[in-house]
Amino acid sequence: MRVLGIDLGSREVKIAMFDGDGLVFKDKMSTMSFYKECCSFDGILKVDVSKIGIDGFDVGISTGYGRNNTDLSRFKAINEIKAHVYGARFQTGLDDFILLDIGGQDIKVVKVEKGIMTDLELNEKCAASCGRYLENMASVLEVSLDEMSGFYENPVTLNSTCAVFSESELIGKIAEGVSLEAMCAGINFSLYQRLRPMLTKFKGKKLVVSGGVANNKAIHKFLKRDYEEVVTLAEPQWNGAIGCCYYGLKFF
Amino acid sequence: MKKIGITTTVPVEVLIAAGYEPVDLNNIFVTSTEYENYIDIAERDGFPKSSCAWIKGIYGVCIQEGIDEIIGVVEGDCSNTKSLLEVLSLHNIKIHSFSFPHSHRLEDVKKEIQKFMNIFNVSEKVVEEVRIQLNTIREKVKEIDELTYIDGKITGFENHLYQVSLSDFNGSPEAFSNELDNVIASGKNRESVNKAIRLGYIGVPPMTGDIYDYVENHNAHFVYNEVQREFAFPRYKKAANIYEQYYDYTYPYDNEYRLKELKKQIEDRQLDALVHYTQAFCHRAIEDIYLKSQLDIPILHIEGDKINRLDARTKLRIEAFLDMVYDRCPSNI
Ligand code: SF4
Repeated sequence: MRVLGIDLGSREVKIAMFDGDGLVFKDKMSTMSFYKECCSFDGILKVDVSKIGIDGFDVGISTGYGRNNTDLSRFKAINEIKAHVYGARFQTGLDDFILLDIGGQDIKVVKVEKGIMTDLELNEKCAASCGRYLENMASVLEVSLDEMSGFYENPVTLNSTCAVFSESELIGKIAEGVSLEAMCAGINFSLYQRLRPMLTKFKGKKLVVSGGVANNKAIHKFLKRDYEEVVTLAEPQWNGAIGCCYYGLKFF
Repeated sequence: MKKIGITTTVPVEVLIAAGYEPVDLNNIFVTSTEYENYIDIAERDGFPKSSCAWIKGIYGVCIQEGIDEIIGVVEGDCSNTKSLLEVLSLHNIKIHSFSFPHSHRLEDVKKEIQKFMNIFNVSEKVVEEVRIQLNTIREKVKEIDELTYIDGKITGFENHLYQVSLSDFNGSPEAFSNELDNVIASGKNRESVNKAIRLGYIGVPPMTGDIYDYVENHNAHFVYNEVQREFAFPRYKKAANIYEQYYDYTYPYDNEYRLKELKKQIEDRQLDALVHYTQAFCHRAIEDIYLKSQLDIPILHIEGDKINRLDARTKLRIEAFLDMVYDRCPSNI
């Protein structure tokens, strides 16, 4: 059975396809180009799958930011938290863990026990601790996200509550001649400090990290201080879409 | 009849035999529109923020409603009750204590109940007569429970309400018995309601009574109320006397004993998941670790504090939990 999973993020749309019981295809595109290039509106939003490079599917499951206001035809919409939990279970084989998902604009912390979500915390209003912050700061420093994510030693102190203030502080540090390494480390550390209050309720042994920021090596290092084991998913950005496929496979 | 306040289920047969009208102070507290006021009275008199809402609520009820005699359960229920009694004694309230002994040995339970009978000056014989009378009412509540988990005709909330009311028989066994007859008769005529998810409610009765309606809007219903059912003594028939009846009671004793009954009910009632309710600042929240490790069924732990309605975050958690439980329901696969 071919199952197509679509995770409609606020900035990117992630697409995954299972054939049989494994991932055979993945792709992502900006949310804007997904709507412009792959969808048409005919009372209901329709996806032209050929435009995303797929020639057909048996079951379609969607989740994410856009799932309530874009009723994709031929897709069953599922709750985003559920999609992420299923994705993480599929990718790790674990049943008991804390899932930390850091996306472009939001964060989820979910406690999973016996394979089922039993607690959660979502950031509200402020996106200061999300991927967007790292992107902004990397562009101020004119380094790539990837390069920036490697630094964690001797972090320079930056405002740990507000991302906007951090930006002007960073400019000040540049003027003081602080090294690029210390600034990168400082940015990563300030993001970690903003995550911590959300994580304190979720002490546990295993932390699974998903979302775009999961690839950040420095954050990973910092999180290791708080958990016995920090697991990064093989496909952290596609976790929601993979969870959709897993759901489609199991329950259809 | 003279009123006497109780802080949880006690051998009510003794009190009734002694000519008292027992009043469960928890029920007054939680059903009152004044409930916040009761908590406030306690906090103004110095009760710490970090003590549970029930203790403060009971205190407020005693002061506000002029309760002048009270029995507190100081062993097997809540250690805070001991301090509560001491403070109440400052207000010229006559206090008595009762214990469900930690040892959970029949002879110790017997000793406690005999002590209790001596305090109230009643004989075992009269107590037994009352017990036999009250058991006819217990039987009716058992029927209500069956109308919930077998027939789907009595809601989870009603099930909670009638079982929990057996701590004091709503002040009048006779009137309560008639009320139960009506509930049973009208319940039988209802259509069966069967939701996809069969839930068990475990832990102390909730501050947030709206949880029952809330889950029903998400394709689930409670078909088991653990502690409320224990208050109703559903296994009374197995007991030859009052001592055995209060010995065979899971809630105040150790969790190992409680677990046996829990496992049996999970099986018998074909539960899909459990919601474990505890109160903020209560030691029972720690028991969640034990229960989760011993029961092989999804368990959602929720905590209530001072507000008698579910808050938005708890609602979101319940909803997401039920959503995933639904995926596993036999009716859905
Ligand atoms: S909820 Fe817990 S702390 Fe409060 S009275 Fe009951 S046992 Fe005591």
